[in-house]
Amino acid sequence: MKLERDSVKLEERIDTLRPLLHQTGNRLGLISSIDGKQLISLLLNTAENRAVCWESPLQTNRYHSLAPVISQAHWFERTLWDMFGLEPENHPRLKHNLLHEAYSIDLIPLLAEEPVSSNGKSREYSPMAVKGDGIYEIPVGPIHAGIIEPGHFRFSCLGEVIFNLEIRLGYVHRGVEKRMCELPWGKMRFLAEAAASDSAAAYALAHSIAVESCFDVAVSYKADFLRTISLEVERIAMHINDLGGMAGDIGFLAISSTMGRLRGVALSMAEQLTGSRLQRGFICPGGVVFDPSEKLPSIKASANWLRKELKPVISFFMSNEVVRDRMENVGKVSPRLAADFGLVGPAGRASDQKYDARHHFVHGVYPRVRVPIAMEVGGDVLSRAKVRIAELESSLFLVEQLIDGLPEGETCIRLPDALPNNASGIGIVESHRGELIHLIFTDSQGQCCRYAIKDASVNNWTGLAIAVRNNLVSDFPLCNKSFGLSYSGHDL
Amino acid sequence: MLRLLGFLLNQGVATSKDYCSPSADSLGLPAFGNQTCIGTSCTQCSTVCPTDAIAVADYPNGGNVSLDLGACIGCGMCIRECPEGTLVANKNPSVARFKREDLILSNVEKSATQDASIQPSIFAKSIACRVVSTGCSACDLEVAACGNSIFDMERYGIHVVASPRFADVLLVTGPVPKAMHDALKSCYEQMAEPRRVIAVGTCAISGGLHKGGYAEANGVEGLLPVDLFIPGCPPHPWSIIDGIRKVMSGSVGRGA
Repeated sequence: MKLERDSVKLEERIDTLRPLLHQTGNRLGLISSIDGKQLISLLLNTAENRAVCWESPLQTNRYHSLAPVISQAHWFERTLWDMFGLEPENHPRLKHNLLHEAYSIDLIPLLAEEPVSSNGKSREYSPMAVKGDGIYEIPVGPIHAGIIEPGHFRFSCLGEVIFNLEIRLGYVHRGVEKRMCELPWGKMRFLAEAAASDSAAAYALAHSIAVESCFDVAVSYKADFLRTISLEVERIAMHINDLGGMAGDIGFLAISSTMGRLRGVALSMAEQLTGSRLQRGFICPGGVVFDPSEKLPSIKASANWLRKELKPVISFFMSNEVVRDRMENVGKVSPRLAADFGLVGPAGRASDQKYDARHHFVHGVYPRVRVPIAMEVGGDVLSRAKVRIAELESSLFLVEQLIDGLPEGETCIRLPDALPNNASGIGIVESHRGELIHLIFTDSQGQCCRYAIKDASVNNWTGLAIAVRNNLVSDFPLCNKSFGLSYSGHDL
Repeated sequence: MLRLLGFLLNQGVATSKDYCSPSADSLGLPAFGNQTCIGTSCTQCSTVCPTDAIAVADYPNGGNVSLDLGACIGCGMCIRECPEGTLVANKNPSVARFKREDLILSNVEKSATQDASIQPSIFAKSIACRVVSTGCSACDLEVAACGNSIFDMERYGIHVVASPRFADVLLVTGPVPKAMHDALKSCYEQMAEPRRVIAVGTCAISGGLHKGGYAEANGVEGLLPVDLFIPGCPPHPWSIIDGIRKVMSGSVGRGA
């Protein structure tokens, strides 16, 4: 797919973007910058399946915040402040998002020029203080009790009820976007995958599509099929993992350990397909690295077996009264708030947001092949579980169908040695968490000068903070698991 | 309830009986095959390597390939590119080493065996692990998979605990970016002696792809003393279990 580019003056930016974003079918992809001298706002038009990048040149490092009119923008603008030193005016709650006390205020990683002096300000971070009789705080993290990535949660509670949750991320910020610009393009894919390895196939696919869109080439039909199989196998493995995690947090260990065993089958499907349990190093710009055709019959058999094996497990899980009681009406996100904050993926679809990137943007066999959109209206943990179950079933079915219909052809086309000059490319993929966007811009020498990644978690972390309000503290782990968010994908 | 029990019994035993047996499909890390390298007239492996883990030098009767498993991300490119068959896929998951330098392999200079200096450990029967993740979650997923019913590391006496206060060993995954330095150090300080540190995965060993950036994500070394290195990106669950069992059986330079 092609990234369309348009420009709008900074002072007219909000008045231009606001009506566009309020039109049905339009959504905000991301807000960022290329080198700090302009704002870029990516608008996704799901009615016409287009992606338009609006560029607004900046004279100073200040601009008017979009967040008061488009709530979703608040998170992007916080990141923009960290990475480019651009300060939004009238932002409702401006604080650092990725770079905290550990970093010097003078470090502005993606700014092309030397930053202006900071006048001794520090990167101090203070969570919102909730005051009142009986309000107390529970700080959790950055290191969590289980085997999970780091992040800090600050609960302000009244008795057992969560009044406010503030999420502080950035602990696994490794500087991926900057490093991407330092690598030769042929090696960028390894870092793209390592940005968030639980979505390695989705990341590799989004990266490959972005690079291919830069070159303006299309890969073979067969490569599209193999890439889609890889993406869907990852979705299967991670949805099983998330459902098993939810069962574990409810305390239904029979189901969580069975899910662990079944996830093992999904991972061995991935291993057969790609040589790696997490599908590292398989999808590359131009196609896929090797042809796994001879393994496909056994992957199909596994998918079929898994589909049959999952049925009784899911039925035990969903028909259990305790499970229903723990999930129903817990962690609700209303459709209106889900729309305001642009929730994506299973979390969005569970709150009545009819958006699945597989229906709109070219990746793999999509959108030629239509998959059913799993929708729920409840917005609670139960709805998110139901969406995952429906997607799990349709993905397993799809994997079998794709293997049956695998076309003949090349698996990889050769791309030129250097990226084109002054080009841009975009890759949008529906990962198991939802919409994943990779953007690439090259300079006049054909070197990547800006690589931007927007994981589904960037949208959905706010969703978690909304969901746990007025819920019990003890339900937090379950709510968290039902969103299944990535720390590394957000922090990069 | 009875139906559920019946269902569980019908599942049979999922646990893998053979120790250290990854599937034949697994690509894993590279190793040296039987073929001689032709030397610096071909440097395909070092050219394609995304982390500069390979260096080729000339050597009498061929080439000397030096391969740093602590920097390798197991992408398999060198194995595919090697025209001679010097580099092949390593099917042996027992890759963990006590010393960082033992991860740097050469096809001509075989490194001295290290077993002589291993001292017995008090963790022989049971060990409690605290896992601190500072990376992309691949290694975390594989450490978590060690606990599932297929790999079942608890049968070897390996437990994952929720606090450093009752942990014997700290498993660190990820390259430890700057924002995690203090948290990781304070976690280590909370552990009682005797304690061990295991660097799980290439990022934790050397920073991997993230090495040298502004986030100072250069791995665990330099922050904490590391007792064992488990290479891989991510290491296979068997490699992780094998590594933890190595620490249970003894360690180099540190008495009980």
